[in-house]
Amino acid sequence: MELDLGSAMGIKLYQEPELENPILVASWPGIGNIGIIAVDTLRGILEAEEFGEIEPWDFFYPRRVFIRKGVLEYLEFPNSKFFFKKMGGKDLVFFIGEEQPTEGGRMYAEGRKAYQMANLVLDVAEKFRCRRVYTSGAAVALTHHTTKPRVWAVPNSESLIPEIRGYENTVLMSNVEGRGGHGNITGLNGLLLGVAKKRGFEAICLMGEIPVYLQGLPLSYPKASKSVLEVLTRSLRIEVSLDKLDELDQKVQQRIEEFYQQIPLEIRGQLDRLKHVTYAQPAEPGPITEEEKKRIMEDVEKFFKKGGGGG
Amino acid sequence: MSLGKPIKIYKEVELPRPSLVLGWKEDGGNLGRKVTDYLNNKLKGEEFAEIEPEEFFPLGGVAIKGDLAQFPESKFYACPEHELVVFQSDTPGAEWYKFLNSVLDVAENHCRVKELYIIGAMVSFSAHTTPRELLTVVNSAEMKEVLSQYDLARDMDYQTPPGERPTLNSFLLWIARERNIPGVSLWVPIPFYLAAMEDAQAHKKILSFLNERLVLEIDFSDLDQEIREQNEKLALARSRFPQIDDYINRLESNLMLSEEENEELIRKIEDFLKEGA
Repeated sequence: MELDLGSAMGIKLYQEPELENPILVASWPGIGNIGIIAVDTLRGILEAEEFGEIEPWDFFYPRRVFIRKGVLEYLEFPNSKFFFKKMGGKDLVFFIGEEQPTEGGRMYAEGRKAYQMANLVLDVAEKFRCRRVYTSGAAVALTHHTTKPRVWAVPNSESLIPEIRGYENTVLMSNVEGRGGHGNITGLNGLLLGVAKKRGFEAICLMGEIPVYLQGLPLSYPKASKSVLEVLTRSLRIEVSLDKLDELDQKVQQRIEEFYQQIPLEIRGQLDRLKHVTYAQPAEPGPITEEEKKRIMEDVEKFFKKGGGGG
Repeated sequence: MSLGKPIKIYKEVELPRPSLVLGWKEDGGNLGRKVTDYLNNKLKGEEFAEIEPEEFFPLGGVAIKGDLAQFPESKFYACPEHELVVFQSDTPGAEWYKFLNSVLDVAENHCRVKELYIIGAMVSFSAHTTPRELLTVVNSAEMKEVLSQYDLARDMDYQTPPGERPTLNSFLLWIARERNIPGVSLWVPIPFYLAAMEDAQAHKKILSFLNERLVLEIDFSDLDQEIREQNEKLALARSRFPQIDDYINRLESNLMLSEEENEELIRKIEDFLKEGA
């Protein structure tokens, strides 16, 4: 039975495009904005057309007011928008949320509001009969900012695992060193995966690695967004140029280097060793032992707890 | 009578087309609480409705203020001999859109409110001897026209700076506009060193405007006395403490103080006024 969104609170569709076998690609901001930059870059490259939104009032506090000559002209809320792109039988629906709905001052969405929003996004996916959902976010990892980030992939169904094993530069959680197949995807980029499972959608979350020492910085990390997009576009069988992300990455890398040089030499020395970590053959012992990795992690945590990294 | 959760109505309001004055309890210079309390006292405001707190306030315990346990309150009062409804509330911490719409549900559906007056304080880096201004932001050109006959600053241009968020007053004013309720947000700049205390001059500035606009016929002699007393205390602080006098002199000459000087002035004035001069 087709879902009638006319009565669905909070969803506004400006048009109802005829889509063939669409796939939903969704993202919200998160650590390094890795997922949202990846998804929004693809949306921009494909010139996807906006066709709907989730009304913000119940989810967000306004972010800007415009007053002109004493008259309140406009109140701006974070956008949560849907876009579509016809791709000749493998159409795409994008959802981009500019903020995660949070309660009680938390950084990432959780609880009732997050669940409501995830369901609204999937209501639209259901209406257009999307057959799969992709989300994207960040994977905080013991890596170095000069190395190419891998992509951690988490599916919501066993049947997707063989497909993921075929992706390049991608690992399942069971292949991530020291994880044993376990972990946690914070916020809506993760929650959507779970709600999709509950509602019978197959879904995959692609997370680009970000070095542990960069996770708290107010910087985007386009290098990882590029890794995510390389995997996503191959999975979707579309070819696009990602030069734009390289340009963005060059600018960000300069700022990261400036920050990196402010880290005390002793800790930086430890972090420099991460440049040589290779996961190409994870079964073999790398140049850094697990014990050493643990020590680096502890040093980094100590440094940031002391209020370092304020550069 | 109940309009449904979260609103509780205790009794009917028989006012043909009242105006609604709204103030928040935690406001600079204690402005929202003082003005709404003052109106209720002078005009015999009777509580007739409230908004239940559970959806809008963190209820993980109680705050203690002035030795007393506090509990969030959001209450409506009707002033029977005047066309006036007063709403006084703690500032909600969640579900703002629902909370503000609940306020307007009572105003619109239960009271048939014709206009909305929202009280707000803004911190000013000027001296207390500078006359208080009344700045306004309206939600329609018609309301601006209505207010043109009063002595108000009516041409403010403003855009929320990066890293900040709009005030709850702006959010309410916008929702009122969406519901076709004419409204104005009234802002009084309060000297920064009085922001955590009381600023009787600011209270009077708002009340005088409301008195004139809503024809309330309030006698302000008690408030005038309060202003005189506060001015005397501040003059005494200046004469006793040359450092305070120096800081205020510089503010009166439109000079900025350093951050440390600002903090010192706040601390010294607060200590002086709290010790009862």
